[in-house]
Amino acid sequence: MARVCAGNRRTFSELVWRHQAPVFRVCYRFLGNREDAKDAAQESFIRAFKKLDGFEGRSSFKTWLLRLTVNVSLNERTRRKENLPLEDWAPPDFSGDGPEEAAMKAEALARLHKALQALQPNHRAAVVLHDLEGLNFREVGEALDVAEQTAKSWAYRGRQRLKDLMT
Amino acid sequence: MENEAIEELLQAYAVGDVSEVEAERVEAALDDSPRLREELARYERLFVLLVAAAEEEVKVPRDLRARIVWRVAVTAYLNSAAELAGGLLGAYGRALIYYLRLA
Repeated sequence: MARVCAGNRRTFSELVWRHQAPVFRVCYRFLGNREDAKDAAQESFIRAFKKLDGFEGRSSFKTWLLRLTVNVSLNERTRRKENLPLEDWAPPDFSGDGPEEAAMKAEALARLHKALQALQPNHRAAVVLHDLEGLNFREVGEALDVAEQTAKSWAYRGRQRLKDLMT
Repeated sequence: MENEAIEELLQAYAVGDVSEVEAERVEAALDDSPRLREELARYERLFVLLVAAAEEEVKVPRDLRARIVWRVAVTAYLNSAAELAGGLLGAYGRALIYYLRLA
């Protein structure tokens, strides 16, 4: 990390390689389509590069980067002020299942993704980071700049709403 | 208040993330309440979906890394140019860079 802070772009390129998948996934789950997610992921890394001096190592680099990513994605959603049309979601490929089960699963997932967009942004962020990205609540709290207990509470509220919307 | 506490525990119970004492509390409440049993079933369905969503493959665009690295290079170049111009031209240079939004 010290080498990156010293301006080593090759090292930063390695960081991009290591973290591009979670950053892109978070953007995709916030914004709902690949093109916007691609732009937001780029913006997240550019901000990270510009703000590297401010990274104090109090959390992991990934958590710090995801905090920037969530902020970029939220700003982008606010700027667009539009609801995600369901058809923008490409249903995932469940190649291991039979076609009928795969279709049902894909439809259910598409509904879930749409329902995620209906959550309050902080609740959505907590659900995406904990339930979909696998961060623990301490890391979610660090990424969202809140106490661990607040992160838990946001995830709880988010799931409660999702349950009402989905089941 | 007790109902709210049980509702909160219900999510954790659905994924097995409760202590033995908490599990006993939830199970006692479930025995007395068909509504809570229905809620638990709904949470269990939701968690199945969340697990499936977490496992869903989201492919990263092939050119993402190259585009980021290119933009980082441009940003670094502009920052260096801005510093150089600021050094050479002083306040006027910095004002020009600010005006042109180069940094």
